[in-house]
Amino acid sequence: MRPLVLILATALTLCGQAPRPTEVQERRLANGARLLLVERRGLAAFNATLVFQGGRAEEPASATGATDLLARALFGATWPEDLEPAKGSPDLEALLKQEEGLLEALRLERVHLKREGEVPTQVPSLEAGLAALQSRLKAQFSASPLADLYLARGGRQRAEATTDALLAQTELPLESFEFWCATEAQRLRTLQLSRFSQARTALVAELRSQGPQGLSLLCGAALPGHPYGRDLLDDLPSLEALRRSDLRTYAHRVLSPNRLTVILIGSFSMDRVLPLLERQLGSLPLPPDEEAAILPEITAGLGDRRVQAALGTAPRLLTGWRMPPRQHPDHLALRLAAQVLAGGQSCRFQTDLVRQKALVQEAELSLDVPGGRFPGLLVANLRPSPGHSLAEVEGALQSEILRLQQDPIPQEAWLRALALLETDHLLVEDDPAALARSLAMAWVQGGDWRLWELDLDRLRALTPEAVQAAARTWLQPSHRTSVLLEPTPGTNQDPVEAELARVLKALATAHIADPAQREHLVSEGIRQLRMLSAEERLHTLNLLKAQLVPEKR
Amino acid sequence: MRALALACLASALCLQAQPRTQEWRLQNGLRVLLLEDHEHPLVRARLFLSLRPGDTPPGRPGLAPLFHRMMVHAETADLKPGDLDRLLEDSGIRLTQSLGTDGFSWQLAARSRDQDQAMGLLADRLLRSLLDPALLELQRLAYLQLLEHPEGSPRERLRQALEPGARATRSSLGAITLQDLLAFRARVFRPDRAVLVLHGDLGLEQAKRLVLLSLGTWMAQEPGPQEAPPPSAAAAVPAVPDEVPRIPDPGAGLRVQALAPQPGDLAPEVGALLSLLVPGEASLDPVRVTLGEGGLVATLDSLEGSTGAATWSQLVERLEGLRRRGFNRRDLDQARLAWFGRRSLESLQPEAQMDRALAESQGRGVREDRLGALSLDGLNSGLRDWLDPAKLRLGAAGDPGDLDRLPRPDERRVGKQAPGDPGG
Repeated sequence: MRPLVLILATALTLCGQAPRPTEVQERRLANGARLLLVERRGLAAFNATLVFQGGRAEEPASATGATDLLARALFGATWPEDLEPAKGSPDLEALLKQEEGLLEALRLERVHLKREGEVPTQVPSLEAGLAALQSRLKAQFSASPLADLYLARGGRQRAEATTDALLAQTELPLESFEFWCATEAQRLRTLQLSRFSQARTALVAELRSQGPQGLSLLCGAALPGHPYGRDLLDDLPSLEALRRSDLRTYAHRVLSPNRLTVILIGSFSMDRVLPLLERQLGSLPLPPDEEAAILPEITAGLGDRRVQAALGTAPRLLTGWRMPPRQHPDHLALRLAAQVLAGGQSCRFQTDLVRQKALVQEAELSLDVPGGRFPGLLVANLRPSPGHSLAEVEGALQSEILRLQQDPIPQEAWLRALALLETDHLLVEDDPAALARSLAMAWVQGGDWRLWELDLDRLRALTPEAVQAAARTWLQPSHRTSVLLEPTPGTNQDPVEAELARVLKALATAHIADPAQREHLVSEGIRQLRMLSAEERLHTLNLLKAQLVPEKR
Repeated sequence: MRALALACLASALCLQAQPRTQEWRLQNGLRVLLLEDHEHPLVRARLFLSLRPGDTPPGRPGLAPLFHRMMVHAETADLKPGDLDRLLEDSGIRLTQSLGTDGFSWQLAARSRDQDQAMGLLADRLLRSLLDPALLELQRLAYLQLLEHPEGSPRERLRQALEPGARATRSSLGAITLQDLLAFRARVFRPDRAVLVLHGDLGLEQAKRLVLLSLGTWMAQEPGPQEAPPPSAAAAVPAVPDEVPRIPDPGAGLRVQALAPQPGDLAPEVGALLSLLVPGEASLDPVRVTLGEGGLVATLDSLEGSTGAATWSQLVERLEGLRRRGFNRRDLDQARLAWFGRRSLESLQPEAQMDRALAESQGRGVREDRLGALSLDGLNSGLRDWLDPAKLRLGAAGDPGDLDRLPRPDERRVGKQAPGDPGG
């Protein structure tokens, strides 16, 4: 009897230690929406994620920025006046229509003013009218943050616009599940978007304040003509021309059940949730049939491309290789290659580039930039150490790529990369929000949520040779685009450097006519001067100042 | 009232659903909290080491961050820094180290089969790191470079510049010696100052054995500390510096920001409810308020045509308006309800469960009985204290021309009109 108890105890211990795969149950609702349910016993709350396939990549030119605006204006909060406008003030819809008219009139008037120059316009009166209307509108809106229906129940919600999808995640106490079903169905039926103009103003302001980003430059240069290469900052006039009614029309089309997957993680059974979901989200109407968007294809071998720009406060090298989409067999091999090169503290980038050669201060490698549904980029983001140029870093990066392609991957590095990926997989599995996101992205990018579940086994089945073969195929110069970013002169906080930039610019203006050449000279001068100590820099500044005419000093 | 009772019931149920905290103390004084959760073969550990006022001697700002940098890069008695990382990662162990306003933290995640290795290596990093002069010079240089060329966008740098605590300078960093660092370690690196939180797939006996084997030999190097009083408001919130951070961002619009550090003596219950009520409060509009590690952060971007001075006073006036008005009974009841619901969300996040266990072990946890008994006066008095204009840390980022036109520090207090200010 005793041996039997021992065997049983051992078996139970082993069962407890073996990783159990996440059990996902899948169903289709009557209108075609998918449901993925992950049952987690003992949770007092649940995570519910709505994933709409499409995202920024499928936005037509006339609806640029729509995914971001929907994330903010539709899923950013849950105000009672948005869900049941009929119950609130009867004026709200009328006021929103008036606001839309005024905003459009004001925009057209400003365009006219820009074209015609100084002519008498109606801009001031329109602005005054809009301000008065918006203050009336504001009076209709909920005043307390706890009027938000989810926040009042202790919930949390966040929405994310990506190139491949729109994700809306909500976490609420378990007893609010029925309420969540009804609320989301009502949100999608009503599409009220009462805070549309606030959301658009905030988005435009954020984009303007961020200014051009290195990664956007890289995507634009590496994926020309493809929506993945588009930068919202370039389309601000379209974004500003987008009206609330346009966004609602767009939302009716893209937030449809046939593009929707609902992911639920919590302590409930399929028997309990399915009828509720069927009654609420399953009864959402389908939009009329439409043709799927056709996106241009990009050949991976477009040729080696290089872009130089003055941007930000620190020099950076961004190198992107066009890589296959997530469904492609080489995708996982490239993921493992990225792990060998840049995963963790003992990867090659850290040991060779950061510690041994001290060439760079930071080194990262990201996959599927900006998305993974279509061919995207594998991006290396390197920040040189002081005293080292971007050209040196570029050369060292290329050496690491060649080494990966040519030298066998040592067994210990291989096992280390797999061990880290396994821990990361467990960490995702243990966090409902991260798990829901991973399942969502596997579905929108790879066409099947099971990809996430299978990834670990498929990674373990790979061989070092397969990874090297994928690296040779995809990480070659003809697939590569490099963006060399030098700091914008004068943006650094250091006042001596800002002053140096000013003096150098003034000196260069007197001698060099070509502005591009002048910018280059100033950037290079600043870079060289950074290698000096603070005292030497101050001394150099004084010497340079002495060369300026007195009024420019 | 019925809703509140239901919320309490739901909260009680949620507590049953979450792992129960088991606590014990080693002979060396180390407190250990265990949250058992066998859902996945994963173990997390967080070792928190508190910092107290007085740990950094006068004239040595930057000592703690420099020490933190050295601990990340130090070799141990047996291992070079790269070797330690390699050993950790050979077993798929993730180890990160951070320094917050209140202390050091080491966070570990490992597959449960690697827990012995993980805790052993954490102990190596903690207890056997070697601080030597060469490492000091290397890290001092790296820190100086960071001071001269700060990372991040101007707006991110503005946010960092408002963080409480004395700023390290070139001269203060230059004055730090190896002896300072060793004395700091002896003072701060004590098991009786540390709390270890374990979460995941390990049982009580297993955890006790694991902690004893890895950290049981940890001994304090200095005589026992005098029982430190709980941090008071005056100690936790350093005096507002006269120098207002102004971060140049050529061509950009002006952004004015204020950080209201959470008062050290604010009751946790008041803090919890205010953090639900203040961010998003409509009367603050157009000022946006978010809750961060250091406290409440209020941000206002200057509109086209408005002066920097007007923006500056508008921000302060909005905060002062809310401070004077306070919240009403309905707000208090709503916030209580929301808080009870929010507590159940912790069951979704292991990190949040660890945060809570740690806070409770330090007497910073929210107690439901005190939350229920909190009066409106108590709530509003906490609000007045938190948004006290004398404690606000203000700063701005924007075009140097706009920054130059901002009022001086002594002109920015409420009630004092800046020159040329139309009144906001």
